[in-house]
Amino acid sequence: MYEYSADTIQSLNLDSLDLGDKKYDELCQIGCGAYGTVFKARDLQNKGNYVAMKKLRVKLNEDGIPMSTLREISILKQLDTFEHPNIVRFFDVIHQNILSDERYLTVYLIFEHVDQDLGSYMEKCPPPGLSASKVKELTRQMLKGVDFLHSHRIIHRDLKPQNLLITRAGGLKIADFGLAKTFDYDMMLTSVVVTLWYRAPEILLNLGYGTPVDIWSIGCVMAEMWRLVPLFCASTEVEQLKCIFRVIGTPSMNEWPENISLMWSSFEQYSKVAFSAIFMDCCSKANSLLESMLTFNPADRISAADALEHPYFKEKENEPL
Amino acid sequence: MPYWYFDKKDIRNSPSFREGIDYETEQRYRREGARFIIDCGTKMDLGYNTMATGVVFFHRFYMYHSFKTFPRYVTASCCLFLAGKVEETPKKCKDVIKTARMLVDDKKFKTFGDDPREEVMTLERILLQTIKFDLQVDHPYSFLLKYAKSLKGDKTKLEKMLQMAWTFVNDSLCTTLCLQWEPEIIAVALMYLAGKLSKFEVVDWIGRNSKHLRWWEMFVEDMTMDLLEDICHQVLDLYSQSQQQASQQDSPPQTQPEPSTKPPPQSHLPPSKLKPDLVAPPHSAIPTLGAQYPQRVAPPPSGHYPNPYPAHPVPIPNIHPVHAVVPPGSQYYGHHRPPPAAGRPYYPPQ
Ligand SMILES: Nc1ncnc2c1ncn2[C@@H]1O[C@H](COP(=O)(O)OP(=O)(O)O)[C@@H](O)[C@H]1O
Ligand SMILES: [Mg+2]
Repeated sequence: MYEYSADTIQSLNLDSLDLGDKKYDELCQIGCGAYGTVFKARDLQNKGNYVAMKKLRVKLNEDGIPMSTLREISILKQLDTFEHPNIVRFFDVIHQNILSDERYLTVYLIFEHVDQDLGSYMEKCPPPGLSASKVKELTRQMLKGVDFLHSHRIIHRDLKPQNLLITRAGGLKIADFGLAKTFDYDMMLTSVVVTLWYRAPEILLNLGYGTPVDIWSIGCVMAEMWRLVPLFCASTEVEQLKCIFRVIGTPSMNEWPENISLMWSSFEQYSKVAFSAIFMDCCSKANSLLESMLTFNPADRISAADALEHPYFKEKENEPL
Repeated sequence: MPYWYFDKKDIRNSPSFREGIDYETEQRYRREGARFIIDCGTKMDLGYNTMATGVVFFHRFYMYHSFKTFPRYVTASCCLFLAGKVEETPKKCKDVIKTARMLVDDKKFKTFGDDPREEVMTLERILLQTIKFDLQVDHPYSFLLKYAKSLKGDKTKLEKMLQMAWTFVNDSLCTTLCLQWEPEIIAVALMYLAGKLSKFEVVDWIGRNSKHLRWWEMFVEDMTMDLLEDICHQVLDLYSQSQQQASQQDSPPQTQPEPSTKPPPQSHLPPSKLKPDLVAPPHSAIPTLGAQYPQRVAPPPSGHYPNPYPAHPVPIPNIHPVHAVVPPGSQYYGHHRPPPAAGRPYYPPQ
């Protein structure tokens, strides 16, 4: 009788099962990040619409798919049910080599396809750069998206122009979040250099992090949108910190965190430069918001929710930044 | 995103049915699988949420695959294993298999293959693909607690009623109700049933307004009495089946009779855990529900039915007046469930 037959899954012909039918037609690679490759593809079951397929390799452990990966993918799905306008839509997840007992599982995350990221948007932007109202609008949208993530206890950790997508209609959508535990730093593909430019000081100092790290990054991106050049750019942690201190001033000895390997005395003493001196053509409210986002102590940094209430956003659109 | 609720006719026309397994047999396989997950989970000290999540995975899986292709006890083990990870109460795969081994006979364990661990691991990937990584599942339990908090009345009676409703929810896992209705709806129906059977009449509740005739209208809109009774009967039907099955034992119809020398492995469990809930009054003893509910009432299950989860006593936090527990309006419209797309909440513009 079939029900006690010794047919096992291993012996089944799974090709006949409705598991891996081809649903997406890969077109071309559009991105290559630290953890995987992103392809543009057509959704064959949905009028051939474009989608973005993010291909990941998940390391399997002795108990199968790690708990953190399961949780993170399911949180991505849950978050998507809110359809937040500033978060990239997450459509589907599929995986390959179901039967092989390899040590990795290839997982494809299917997202809506968005025309470009903020990096290329800024590159293509003709001089003199983004208008004041555009900068304000995109900053507001970044904050809204991040406020949403933070209210669901998700820290992005890697906000930067390449992870912010700009739709044809000019809206901003946050991408590349939520897989923090699945892809920890030591799992990165070695060939890829991770930029430090948007990293908050507490990360650079190896202090652990919370939601304020994202606000720091937003500050950096906002400044970059205005100037079209990155605000702080260095290639090592210490150099990056120096770069930061040259603008916000070296923190005083009292402000220096305890129990860290980097000595306060190893940094030159820089005094704070007035933001109005760097962003001379910026309005005072924009500078005041920037200053509260680019605060050394994460506890004193403004939150996304408070930033959205900042007077900067209360002004009329057509006033100068 | 797949939609996990089905019409009764879809449930009847399942992959197993299309492969020649009749409806009653499939229902029994589902029941046995669910019961197995609960027994296995109880033995491993897993919480009720983990077990319920495992059972929901199991029912969803067989909406896309046949019991002919995937033997039920391996699938059930895999569902429990995955639910453990999802609910952050992980158990080692080999321990799940060890426990499963104690609960099934040799013949059934053959379906685990030569390398049971590898079998479960492979199945995990098939399971994930089938349930589309929709791993976060709500269960009626949390809604029972929420509803109970808002009901006014004698506290002892309320607790008894809640306990009974809890038991009904446990038992409902053996039905396909989780494939038909959202947990909110199941919780309302089974709380209503428990109220009837324990004679706890709800006359007042927190957040009541003049438009409310029934307490559940605060939580679920347009719930018809027909729907309510249909859900209750699906659970009550279990008890009549378990009666029939008591003589028939656990063994499925097959040419070869079960070896009678071998006692069912469950008998190693202490009697209180043996077939926890299904030792119920025969169906006929439970009268039809509704307005003309007769006076001769079957004894309330709380005494008769041991709670299968003694390790997790029903907490009844704060039944006393709580302020502002009125939940936002529900999106449910009785029989007409919202279509998947429209059912997703839209993030409100601020
Ligand atoms: N949904 C999308 N639509 C269009 N392009 C995308 C999309 N998602 C990612 N990309 C492009 O691919 C790049 C890498 O994707 P990302 O999700 O950031 O992966 P990684 O973790 O590898 O950085 C992005 O910088 C962006 O240019
Ligand atoms: Mg990226």
